[in-house]
Formats: sequence, structure tokens, C-alpha cells
Amino acid sequence: MMNKIQTISSSQPSFGGVIPPGGLTRHRVVAAWHALAPVLVFVSMLLIVGILNPNYLKPLGISIVTASAAPILFVALGQAMVLNIGSIDLSNAAISMVGAILVALWLPGMGVMGIVAVLAVTVAIGILNGLLVAVTQVPSFALTLGTLGLLQTAALVTSDSQTIYISENRELIAALYSTSLLFAPLTFWIGVFVALVYWGLLSLTRLGLGMTAIGKNERAATLSAVPTLPIKVITYAISGLSGGLAGLAIVAQAGSASASGLGSNLLLPGIAAALVGGTSISGGQTNPINVVFGALTVAFVPIAIQAMGFGAEAQSLVYGLFIITVVALTTSRVRGAVIK
Amino acid sequence: MVNHLLSRESKGPTGLILAVVALMVVFSFLNPRFASVENLQNVLFQSSVPLIIVVGATLVILMGSIDLSVQGVMGAAGMAWILITPNTRTGLDYGVWAWVIALGTGVALGLFAGLIYERLKVPSFVATLGTWYVGLGIGIMLYGNGLLPSLTNEALARWPTRLTLGIPNSFWLAGAVVVVGLVIMNYTRFGRGLLAIGNNEAIARSSGISVSRYKIMALAIAGGLSALAGILATMQLGSGSSDIGSTQLFTVIPAAVIGGTALSGGEGGVLRSSLGVFLLVILNNGLVLAGVDPDYQQGVFGLILILAIVTVAWPHRNRLKVAK
Repeated sequence: MMNKIQTISSSQPSFGGVIPPGGLTRHRVVAAWHALAPVLVFVSMLLIVGILNPNYLKPLGISIVTASAAPILFVALGQAMVLNIGSIDLSNAAISMVGAILVALWLPGMGVMGIVAVLAVTVAIGILNGLLVAVTQVPSFALTLGTLGLLQTAALVTSDSQTIYISENRELIAALYSTSLLFAPLTFWIGVFVALVYWGLLSLTRLGLGMTAIGKNERAATLSAVPTLPIKVITYAISGLSGGLAGLAIVAQAGSASASGLGSNLLLPGIAAALVGGTSISGGQTNPINVVFGALTVAFVPIAIQAMGFGAEAQSLVYGLFIITVVALTTSRVRGAVIK
Repeated sequence: MVNHLLSRESKGPTGLILAVVALMVVFSFLNPRFASVENLQNVLFQSSVPLIIVVGATLVILMGSIDLSVQGVMGAAGMAWILITPNTRTGLDYGVWAWVIALGTGVALGLFAGLIYERLKVPSFVATLGTWYVGLGIGIMLYGNGLLPSLTNEALARWPTRLTLGIPNSFWLAGAVVVVGLVIMNYTRFGRGLLAIGNNEAIARSSGISVSRYKIMALAIAGGLSALAGILATMQLGSGSSDIGSTQLFTVIPAAVIGGTALSGGEGGVLRSSLGVFLLVILNNGLVLAGVDPDYQQGVFGLILILAIVTVAWPHRNRLKVAK
């Protein structure tokens, strides 16, 4: 009990009336830094690449980065919403994999209805995750690790471990990728639109405020009559929906789907993009619009590494250092806070 | 308080041991080859690498943190080791020093993660996620674009599978690590300190435990053990690969959780986590022998994980409980 109080009173300096040493001014500086850091990180990376090798910033470069950022963005937005309530969804990249396979299977026969059906299935998977987490009160990390395993099997079984090419109605979904606006494919702009919607949800609605309240202090939220159970279920449903949209983006780009193809490794980039976008892993802090910059940054790192003259082998190493540096720069530190 | 102690007693490893035994009986009926001496030796062989990792992972989970860097550290250490042990590519032979350097790489990566976690106050999830990529990157860079390095020393390549007193050498190594882990957990200040931190960090700090040092040490030890697992896995494979640790993290963390080691810290132990590893390895081995398509393996693991955590958590449901 003691450490709960300690955590509550000290680890969330930007809320709840606890003023950190240094007073209100420092408080505001920290808040402003949080809002701006993801954008600054992305812009400074653009500048460095632009100076070293301007070729990468031409239309072709922009379309490559935004295209590879699109599926990461959807997964990251869902993850950010779940991280915001202080939980995690390790299964959301697997949801997008299952979604992509179902799109490839259903689109030829069902057309647009197939896409709607796939999104309904991914939302249903999210709801199931949410119900399990909220009703049984188990740690979300372990539970969604379990559903991750189930979904991997589901992806392998539904696709029969094969790559599924879309035979008919391909134009319905390929247009999302081939149509481009300001050099970026439509899938990316849909991601930006979804980010705006999520931002509106979080900052303008009672539901969104309830989510953030749960993330900041779940017990206090419960005691203040915030309906935590339905809100958690809705949050996981949103994560499922985002996973389904990522699946659409994958199929739109690849024209096919398989359990090991394009998009099968979205889990870690998705988490990284949410974190680089300023989302706190301990909950109560996210800004979906900044997550857009997080996803762009994550998609841009491989290109930046090439532009700086490192070999492709250095990619993982730089990626790791990058995540640590960005989170270390944006994390809030308060004396005595318990950091898990 | 009494209640707490009692619940701790009742959740001892008896249930787990029964589950492992029950699985073995069922699988023996499904395929008589399961109970053969060769297959049981095979089970011990397969469980060695995850057993070594789970000891380190448990130390970290017990204090309420998490170590995601396992696969990266294994890749870096395994690759460092094989490149300076007689192999088909470099022709270098540092002998014992190869072990020292490879294990040192693991400890250094663990220290790196620990310092970022403790000094920069970055959550362990992120610090070790970054270290995963850093370790993987070191492995990939060491591998470079050259030839695949394979072990040329026959004796070394066969060591893990060779039997001593009917048990594979790799399992003797893993068993020794588990025993040392048990001693550290149960009979040293350090082990009890980790449990105290997991139970309540603020109180542990107020009671004079040097929380920072303990946290950094736990991550360094976990790094060293991941490195040892990386070397052993490389030896078992006979050649170097930066992906040598692939999927280990997703065996070890469920194993610890199924064994009853709580991710929130302060509960569980090395023995229970090790039993969790046995459960998953036997399950995997038995399902393959029973003719189940390997595609279903992840799903079965997932289902068992969900059932295990839900069964444990069900009686403790409470309107005000907070489970992150």
C-alpha cells in the first residue's frame, strides 16, 4: 500500500497538484518538452539526412518512408491507446497479421463487405482481449502474450502456411496504396486521420478522459466512479480496430498476405513508434498526433543510417541506441519515484 | 499477514509438479516413444538453454522489472564466442579467453541496460528493449558479410549432446546454473533484497537496501546468463548465427509466469520458473510426438499461459484491484 501512495504522489508530476522541485516553471518546461520532443527528434533527423544526402528527401524518398510508416503507424496508434490506460497489447501486431490474411481470403468473394467483416473480426478479437484483461484482472503483458500465441496459430492455420495472393477485386484495396497525395500513399493519410480522431477522442470526450484517468491512477479512477471495465474493453477494441486497419495497409501494399510476409514483424516497431512518439510505458500520457512522428521516425531510421554512411548491418544497433536515447530524453524524473 | 503466508504456502510447486507428471503420463499413452530413455534425454537437452535464461530472467522479474534483451545478448555473445574459438572462418583460438570475452560481452550488455534503467530512470521495459536491438546489432556486425563460421573442433561440437552418467552435458551445465540460482535466491542477502524490492521498493529503500546496486547487479547477472545460453546454443547448433536466441524470450517469460513468478515482482522463484520451463518443453516435445502439427505449438502455449494466469488470479478478483 505504501508504495502505491508513493507512486501516485510522485511519479506523475504533470497532474494531481504535486509540484516538483523547481516549481511551476519547470513543470511547464517539462510539459512543453513532452509535447515537442517527438517532432524535434524527427525534424532534426530530417535535417541531418538532408545535409548529408539531399537525395533521400526527394519525392521518391518521401513516398518510401511514408509507405513503410503506414502499417507501423496503425499498430502504434492502437498500442498508444492501450499504453495510455497503463496496460499493453502484445497481440495487436498479430491481429493485423490475421486481419491481412482474412482480407486476402475474403476480398475476392465478398468485395467491400469482406473488408467490413475483417474489421469486425479484429474489433471482436480486441473486445475479447479487453474482457479477459478487465474481468479476470490479470496482467495485460502475460494475457496478451497468450493471445499473441493463439493468433499466430490462427494466422498459420487460416492461411495454411501459404502466401495468399488476391485473385479478384484487388483494385478495391490496391487503390489505397497506389493513390498518392503529396507524395505519400493514401494509407499513410488514413493513418494521420485516425490519429486525429484518436486525439479528439482522448482530449474532447468523457470516454477519453476516463482512459487517461485510468492510466494515471486506476484506483482513484474507480473510486471516482469512472466505469473502468467498459473503458478498458473499448480501449482494447480500438487496438483491435487499429490492428485490422494495419492489416488492410499491408495487403494494399503487398497485394498478398502470409503469416511470415510483409508486416509479420510489426510488434516491436509499433511499440518503439509509440514510445518515440512520447507515450509513457507506465500509462496516463500519450498524444496520437505525436505518435505519427514516432512512426515516421521509426520508419526513417534505416534510411538515415544509410544516408550517414553506415552499412545495413549497423541498423539494429543504431535502432536500439535510438529508442533508449529518445525515451531517456523525454522521460520525466522525480526523486523517489518507483520505476519498474 | 497470516493469510498472506498461508496463500504463499498453498501456491507451492506441488501443483506444477503434478501438472508436469500428468502431462508425461498422457503423452506416454499417446506415443510410447515419449517415455523412452532417448526421448527423455532429448527433453533434458532441449530444456538446457531456456533453463539457463530463466534463472536470470527470474531474478529480474522478482524485483518487478523485466528483461527483454535475452535474444539480443544471446546473438552477440554466441557470435563473439564462435569467432574466437576454432572455426571455419577466422582461424582464431583464444581458448578459455573466448569464454571470458563472450560472457563479458553479456555482462557488459546487462550493465549497460542496468545503468540506463537505474541511472537514467528509463523503465526496464524500454532499457532492455533497446539493449535487445543493440545486442542483435553487435551480433549482426560481428557476422558481417563473411562466411558462416562453423565449429571445427569436433570434441567441442559434440560436448552438449554427450552423456555423462546418462544425462546430456548441456543439462549438467543448466542444472548447475539452476542450483546456484536457488542458493542465491534463498540464502543470500542479495536474493532476499531482490524479493524485498519486488514486494515494496519504497520500504526496501528505507530499510537500507542499496536498491540501485541490486537492480544493476540483477540485470548484469541476467546478461551474463543470457550470454552463457548463447554460447551453449551456438555449440548445440555447431555454427554461429545472430538469430541464435530466436523465440527464446517467448518461451522463457511464459515459463516464468506459468511457474507462478508474478510479473509485478516479489512472488515466485527460480525453482518454480524452472518447472515452468519443463512444462513447456515437455508439452512441445509431447505434442510433436503425438503428431500434432507444429503450427499449433504457439497456440497451445498461449492457451496454457492464459489458463494458468486466469486460474491463479480468479480468487483474487476485487473491485479495487489494480493489475497492470
